[in-house]
Amino acid sequence: MIHPVDILLVLVLLSVLFAFASSRLPVLIRILAFQGVVVSIVPFFLEHDMTTGSVVFTMATLTIRGIVIPWSIYSMIQKMGIKREMETVVGYNVSVFFSLLLIVAAPMLSHKFNLPSFSGGTLITSTAITLVVAGMFLLMARRNAIAMVLGYIMMENGIYLVGTSFSARAQHIVEFGILLDVLAGVMIMAIMLQSIKQKYDNLDTALLRELKE
Amino acid sequence: MDLFFISLGIILAGGFFPLFLKRQFLWMKAVSVFGIATGCLLGLIDAGRHLAISGNLYASFDYLSAFSLFFTIDSLAAFFLVAIFFVSFLAVIYGFHYMDKPEKAARTAVNFFFFSLLIISMALVVCAGNMITFMLAWEIMSLSSFFLVIYDHQKPENRMAGYLYFVFSHVGAMFIFSAFGLMYGFSGSFGFEGAAALPEPVKLIVFVLAFIGFGSKAGVFPFHVWLPHAHPAAPSHISAVMSGVMIKTGIYGIMRMYSVLGSHTMIFGEIVLVAGMVSGILGVVYALGQHDLKRLLAYHSVENIGIILIGLGLGMIGVAAGQPVMAVLGFAGGLLHVLNHSIFKSLLFMGAGMVIRKTGTSAIDALGGLIKNMKITGITFLIGSLAISGLPPFNGFVSEFFIYMGGFRGVALDRTAFAFSLLGIISLAVIGGLALACFSKVVGVVFQGEPRSVAAENVDEKGPAMLFPMLVLAGACILIGVYPKIFILMAVKGVASLELGYGRIPLDHFIELTGNITRAASIFFGVFLLVLALRTLLYRGKTITRSGTWGCGFTQPTVKMQYTGSSYAASILEFFKPVAPLNEDHPAIQGRFPAKTHYHSHVHDIAERYMGSIIVRPVQWVFDQLRWIQHGDIHLYIGYILLAIVVLLFFV
Repeated sequence: MIHPVDILLVLVLLSVLFAFASSRLPVLIRILAFQGVVVSIVPFFLEHDMTTGSVVFTMATLTIRGIVIPWSIYSMIQKMGIKREMETVVGYNVSVFFSLLLIVAAPMLSHKFNLPSFSGGTLITSTAITLVVAGMFLLMARRNAIAMVLGYIMMENGIYLVGTSFSARAQHIVEFGILLDVLAGVMIMAIMLQSIKQKYDNLDTALLRELKE
Repeated sequence: MDLFFISLGIILAGGFFPLFLKRQFLWMKAVSVFGIATGCLLGLIDAGRHLAISGNLYASFDYLSAFSLFFTIDSLAAFFLVAIFFVSFLAVIYGFHYMDKPEKAARTAVNFFFFSLLIISMALVVCAGNMITFMLAWEIMSLSSFFLVIYDHQKPENRMAGYLYFVFSHVGAMFIFSAFGLMYGFSGSFGFEGAAALPEPVKLIVFVLAFIGFGSKAGVFPFHVWLPHAHPAAPSHISAVMSGVMIKTGIYGIMRMYSVLGSHTMIFGEIVLVAGMVSGILGVVYALGQHDLKRLLAYHSVENIGIILIGLGLGMIGVAAGQPVMAVLGFAGGLLHVLNHSIFKSLLFMGAGMVIRKTGTSAIDALGGLIKNMKITGITFLIGSLAISGLPPFNGFVSEFFIYMGGFRGVALDRTAFAFSLLGIISLAVIGGLALACFSKVVGVVFQGEPRSVAAENVDEKGPAMLFPMLVLAGACILIGVYPKIFILMAVKGVASLELGYGRIPLDHFIELTGNITRAASIFFGVFLLVLALRTLLYRGKTITRSGTWGCGFTQPTVKMQYTGSSYAASILEFFKPVAPLNEDHPAIQGRFPAKTHYHSHVHDIAERYMGSIIVRPVQWVFDQLRWIQHGDIHLYIGYILLAIVVLLFFV
């Protein structure tokens, strides 16, 4: 029988594929929002004892990850009038191919990590690895600074997944650490984006090359 | 709390508080000098006490759970502490009047701060009881002295000197790290005790690595390249401390390594002895060719480090050959020379600082006749010069004589030990002669004759805080020279903690011998002074006419007719051309009415030249080839990270 967590994780993996294939920013933001929501509700399906506290924590994560961050990024691109298409460093087809390779390779790796796995929920570690590497890949492969922020968030989703497989109490510490990280990261990036935009009138990070000595 | 740490605390306070007092320049200096000097004096008392009673101090701090800081003061460390605190005490007093630019108040405060850090770190280096503590103190010492070197950072050549020093001290530290790493790899502990159990070949590698590392701090040829650049760049009292005591921590490191490795084979002594001979002779040869007063003194540090190493090398050969008397003579001579060199070298640097401060130039050939207006500076500088040349009855003689006697003991041994001891003696003799030539050049050109430039005329020597340390140091030169016994016993006590296991060595004979020679020389000096007194007494009331020096009855003498430093040294440098290539720029004089000409010479340091072409350029070439890695494209940088993660995930 397929464990419900695995179904969720398959959705996450599919969202990675979608993210790599999409060429437009709003779509990418929506995919990331979806991914955030799915990743956030994973703890409900794990066999932890859910206390009220942990329910609140999980809901807070879901709100920030699935709603607050995507919405703020979305409103930012509206306000700043950013081009909706993304230029790439690595093309879409190659990206999708890479993500497929990654999804195949990740389970082979997951046994290397001695993370506590749950009965049935065997995909957690491999999905986490996929998300981290894929987020990193997105950071590298897209020129648009917003897309890079989104890649960063994808990485954080992966780390969050690793956190969920810890025991219930340690889990929240990890989660909240990550959340604070993400919030701070997104805020800093927003400020930096503003200045990049002011300086170059564009969000193409390749222009930062000019800063080289 | 031990007196030792209290004194360090006072020194730190003396360096720290002035940072907030930069509005009141005089107060800042006063607080700083008072604090640091008090701390040094307390430290000196404490070090003397440790040397007198053989009790070792142990102190351990476990603030860092993984690495405990551990300090121990044995007699060897105490001996170095005496030199460190004594010279630092006088140097900081000297700094009170030397740092006299109120417009540079902030920088002066920072200078005093790093100076205090330097003193503390030097003291901690010699007290460090394990590798971690040692490297921590060592790095603080390197960094604080780096900041002291770049005090005048507006001048590009000073920044360049600082950079060179930075590179050398850290490459040296890297070698020490690798030596310690090797020791740790075999013994599995950060303490020094386990090192004695290392296999013999590993001991040799460890020793050579450590020797290179410590040698680059001590200024052993060919790792001395930073020294002639850094010493002129730093303020004079800082040069005095750096050249006088800081480079001696390298000697301390070599001695400590020899002691902890506990390997008494001949090869160690041979390495040290050969390095000592080469740096001794080349150091003094390059010194002869210098035109800058402080650069010249810096090369003399290389020379004296060479003498010290010859002493240590003879001591190690003595240990290997089973000759306790030779071993103790060599080690004690080398160790005493550490103290002696710290005294007369800081005296000379302070004298040079006075000259530079009052005339505004450090070019030897632009000075002249200074002794007429700078009596105290001139006489103390002369005493320092006689001491560094190793003449009785000054302190340099005592230590060199001990090393000589160690060498003569070694001549009685079999083939290799015989050859090396003989070479040691010969090179000591060569060094002594050349050093005398060099300092007769300096004293003759700088202090005697007639002023060669406007800058050297009408100088004064105001600044009691600068004169006092010079007088004290000159007094110390004479004291150790005339009454060497107690200081020799101090050095012998320092040698005792090398744990050679000899027990009591009868040295009274040698001490007496040294005492006799110095006493004979002091009688000579006494006669000289008596004649001088008689002369003034008998000539009182008679007319004495004075004319220009080197006048020789010529009616139209000019200052240009005097010997210059370059011409004085030229004949000696000619002989050493193979190791000291001389570049001369001198258009020949032609015709009956020759055009105006000039003379410019530069002695090339072969270490500097070949280090550039053999080591620096290939390294630079390799890194130039790798420059494409730094392209400035953020996506590719992230790509590097991604690649690293993937590789780590899949293959580690």
